[in-house]
Amino acid sequence: MQNTAATKEIKTGVRPHTLAARIYKYRYFYLMMLPAVALLIIFKYVPMAGVSLAFTKYTAFAPPKFIGWDNFKELIGDASFLSALKNTLILSLVNLFLGMLFSIGFALLINEIHRKLVKSVFQTILYIPHFISWVVTASIFYLILSPSGGLINQLIVGLGGKSTYFMISEKWWTPIFYLINLWKGVGWGMIIYIAALSGISDELYEAASIDGAGRLKQTWYITLPGIMNTILVVLILHLASVLNIFQSVFVLQNDLVLNVSEVIETYIYRVGLLQSDYGYSTAVGLFKSVISMILILITNNACKKIKGEGIL
Amino acid sequence: MQEKFSFASGYRSRTIFRVCNIVFFILLSLVMLVPILKVISDSFDAKAGYALTLIPTQFTADAYKQVFTDKELLNPLLISIFTTAVGTALCLFLTTTSAYVLLQTDMPGHKILTWLFFITMIFSGGMVPGYLLIKNLHLMNTLWSCILPPAISVSNIILMKSFFESLPQSLMEAAAIDGCTPFGIFIKIVLPLSKPALASIGLFIGVQYWNQFFNFVMYITNNDLFNFQVKLRDIVLNSTDLQNSNASDTALMSRTVQNACVIVSMIPPLIAYPFCQKYFTTGVTLGAVKE
Repeated sequence: MQNTAATKEIKTGVRPHTLAARIYKYRYFYLMMLPAVALLIIFKYVPMAGVSLAFTKYTAFAPPKFIGWDNFKELIGDASFLSALKNTLILSLVNLFLGMLFSIGFALLINEIHRKLVKSVFQTILYIPHFISWVVTASIFYLILSPSGGLINQLIVGLGGKSTYFMISEKWWTPIFYLINLWKGVGWGMIIYIAALSGISDELYEAASIDGAGRLKQTWYITLPGIMNTILVVLILHLASVLNIFQSVFVLQNDLVLNVSEVIETYIYRVGLLQSDYGYSTAVGLFKSVISMILILITNNACKKIKGEGIL
Repeated sequence: MQEKFSFASGYRSRTIFRVCNIVFFILLSLVMLVPILKVISDSFDAKAGYALTLIPTQFTADAYKQVFTDKELLNPLLISIFTTAVGTALCLFLTTTSAYVLLQTDMPGHKILTWLFFITMIFSGGMVPGYLLIKNLHLMNTLWSCILPPAISVSNIILMKSFFESLPQSLMEAAAIDGCTPFGIFIKIVLPLSKPALASIGLFIGVQYWNQFFNFVMYITNNDLFNFQVKLRDIVLNSTDLQNSNASDTALMSRTVQNACVIVSMIPPLIAYPFCQKYFTTGVTLGAVKE
């Protein structure tokens, strides 16, 4: 970055001193920036100002009316909001835990395959589901888990069991949600650990094997400590976005499993967009945004401590 | 590192592990692929979903013919292609220009600009104010509501900026000494040198636009403006009779057509996939793996 600045100085001889001269020098850049800044202000900053609606009573039938903190007082006692908050935390954290566990495990195992071609074939296959959109993923699994002719139910019936409609069963929906998330995300999650594993020096392993350490001991004393930083960073990065779980839930949920599948964002959608209670749903959104912001700032500091630079 | 493959004592346990490991990954690959293969097979099968097989029992390609001729399905497909093309071009333009300008540390106002972009990463107005904005701008039921808001992507700008930073600075210095204007440097040197980055980030953006779904759910109520993802959700869930409340009056599509639609909407991202595979690690690990 300093180099770019230096470039300009070489060109013009000296760095222009007056502000006007410097602005003039960069005139084309302001022009270049204009469309992006305009869109940024319209589509990011105007909605930010819109959070003031959180302090109003505002529905499709009545204009906004200031009511102070009433929406937030209602929020604390709102059973459906609290249930959505609980579901958000459960679904997000279990997802995060399972995803990391399996991604790390698979990364360690795939790292033991030394033939480059074989390894990259497996990697390519495991990454594929990441590129399939959530709508398509949901469609695939709705079709496969369908009670009428879906692959899984045919297997169950073929083995003498009874056909089950998994997606509308509160008992089955959550585990299936975790499994689909694993299917879609586990390969992609491995990438970062594979990159970290390739950074561990071979000399460490050679030294360890000369000292008589077996494979398991090497994994425990060299490999895991070697990727510990990465594991921590991934963990706190995901913790920062723990409230944002949305698309995966939205495409997989249906009215019959709302008890276990309603999360904060889908609740906002239901109350705000479907029931047009704009004031209250903005308050829910603001509550979420503020907590998310605090989480991001905390995790940024944690990252700085671990690896010397922040995530932002 | 080539290991000895032998069951002789001393190598035995290691070799058994390696065989099991390969078998494990073959099984894992099957778990990843079987759901997709089943959908592919069913999309060619006139009796889709009534056989425990991954090979069509009664081969037909009619479902695909229907996707490309039935107005009900062709129209959403064209909408998807249009929004993806326009959106990707716009987003790529905004991403490259903003990334380059944000590199100009000596520019008056650089700090303010950086903060302007940075703040949007930690705080957002949320879903409802965004929805009301689109409503007040009278963009409801126009494709702009699904093209403009995602066109500003700060994470892509950061990715692009780090690519620009990795370009050889000496080239730009040389151009500057030769009297090239900063804007000329951008057009004649920076852009041509970042072709791989433009291609891969462009593909990422394209996939995002193609897979876009929720903006259409929020901002589009007109059946004729649905994109393919929304249409797909509509016809698959419609058949399950779960969400009739927000399903349109689409005629029920046969199971074979449903499967064919899944495949059609899956193809563009999967075509893009091998081309940007080289950049996966860069993209994912940017700022996350300790150098």
